[in-house]
Amino acid sequence: MDFALFANLAFNGLIEGAVIALPAVALTLVFGVMGFPNASTGDVMTAGAYAAQTGQIAMAGSIVAGVIVGSVASALLALVFYLCVFRFFQGRPSMYALVASIGLAFATRSTLTFFLGYDQRVFPIPLTRAFSFGPLRIVPSDLYILATSVGAIVLVFLLLYVTPLGRRMRAVADNPDLARSCGISSHRVLSAMWLIAGAVTGLGGILFGIKTVITPLMGWEALLPAFAAMILGGIGNPAGAIAGALTIGIAQELSTPFVGFTYKIGVGFAIMVLALVLRPSGLFNLSARVR
Amino acid sequence: MNGSQPLLATRDLTGGYGEIDILTGIEMTVAAREIVTIAGTNGSGKSTLAKAVMGFLPRTAGTIRFDGIDLLAQPAEKRLALGIAYVPQVANIFPSLSVEENLLVIENVADRRARLEAMYAHFPALKPLRRRRAGSLSGGERQQVAFARTLMPEPKLMVLDEPTAALSPAIVSKILALIRTLPEAGVAVLLVEQRAREALAISDRGYILDQGRIVLADTAAALLSDTRMAELYLGHGLTESDKAPS
Repeated sequence: MDFALFANLAFNGLIEGAVIALPAVALTLVFGVMGFPNASTGDVMTAGAYAAQTGQIAMAGSIVAGVIVGSVASALLALVFYLCVFRFFQGRPSMYALVASIGLAFATRSTLTFFLGYDQRVFPIPLTRAFSFGPLRIVPSDLYILATSVGAIVLVFLLLYVTPLGRRMRAVADNPDLARSCGISSHRVLSAMWLIAGAVTGLGGILFGIKTVITPLMGWEALLPAFAAMILGGIGNPAGAIAGALTIGIAQELSTPFVGFTYKIGVGFAIMVLALVLRPSGLFNLSARVR
Repeated sequence: MNGSQPLLATRDLTGGYGEIDILTGIEMTVAAREIVTIAGTNGSGKSTLAKAVMGFLPRTAGTIRFDGIDLLAQPAEKRLALGIAYVPQVANIFPSLSVEENLLVIENVADRRARLEAMYAHFPALKPLRRRRAGSLSGGERQQVAFARTLMPEPKLMVLDEPTAALSPAIVSKILALIRTLPEAGVAVLLVEQRAREALAISDRGYILDQGRIVLADTAAALLSDTRMAELYLGHGLTESDKAPS
């Protein structure tokens, strides 16, 4: 066994997990409050990545400006999806909203490919030399990706658990009618929730694009591990979604010497299935649900 | 009842969830600082009436006026700003929020910290529990959280839907004693209760519902001594001549 190889795979898995954690948190937020698995999450990731890359080029190559443009664009796209589609399915069977979200996913992807084509794109960022840290070979951009993801997740948690808006969001998630009788406008709260979920999703797409390349299918492919992370962590549990994403990211990478790169995604799903057989409410759901 | 215009008044209120009317021709008033009980057997429509007042009944006709404002034209979330607070029969707390968050989450509170301390003074059992998830509390503690939350914004009217349901007799007495003190704090109460005698004992007036219609309406004392109420609760029903004009 080559310790350095596995240490590097585990670190790479940590970075992948940190990226997948963002759409997983968005999925679990939407599921916790709206009660349906939002299949358009992956394509909002893609749209965010394309918007960020376009924004970066337009803003003289500033990656920070690109990240801001991409996050804002995906936040607005998610809000438009809510205002134009998802809000009409509130109080109705979740299957309706799920099917609508699949339709929005295809529509988003088709629109992107119609205008931008199928060619791969990359973020024009300078290549940097990897440095050694013990057995690890670390590329600086991975550290930026990790720091950005952690920062975004900390912000989301602060917003959810420290601010009055987060309190209102969790109240609406718990009991929408009781929240209304408490004077809370669920429409405003849900609009804010969709903006946050969209921004976080878009940021996930941007980081995924920086780590790999931007393609029209990148979000769709990232959606499955994000779903697995949400389910593994316990649906509606943001902290669980993060733990689920890190578990899946690291397990997938560690499995590549045995199953190969192509089949690593199957390992993530095998872990999810095994965990759910042993603990159906999700591996990280300590109580019923932590919103 | 005070002689002035009622705080809450329904006129020919009819409504339900689907095609079938659950409420028919409800004429009811609640004055400021008055406790009014709505009693009736299971399925009589009393909780539906509370939901209609709170804006949660999908189909309503007639009028509901509060302080002169047409309530049916207002969305449910506007009622609190008008001065109406609501404790539903079930799911009356936010289980994933802490006790303190349950109190702070309600809108229209001018000085949250001062009101929070006032609620802890009024419900001292809640202060040591303030960091606990409300979902982990007992039924009596949950009811205290629900009352404290709805009292935070100092409402003019509290709509209480079976606040004593599924509670132990000792807790029921405490809840009813608490309700009796509300008018002193300037709060009128619309009390929906199946325990008609206990509820009427702390009320000014009452309405008895049967199959979505008001069949008896009088002062609480008169209703308590009315033999027709016992008949109704024993399931014999009332003849048309027995029924009070609604």
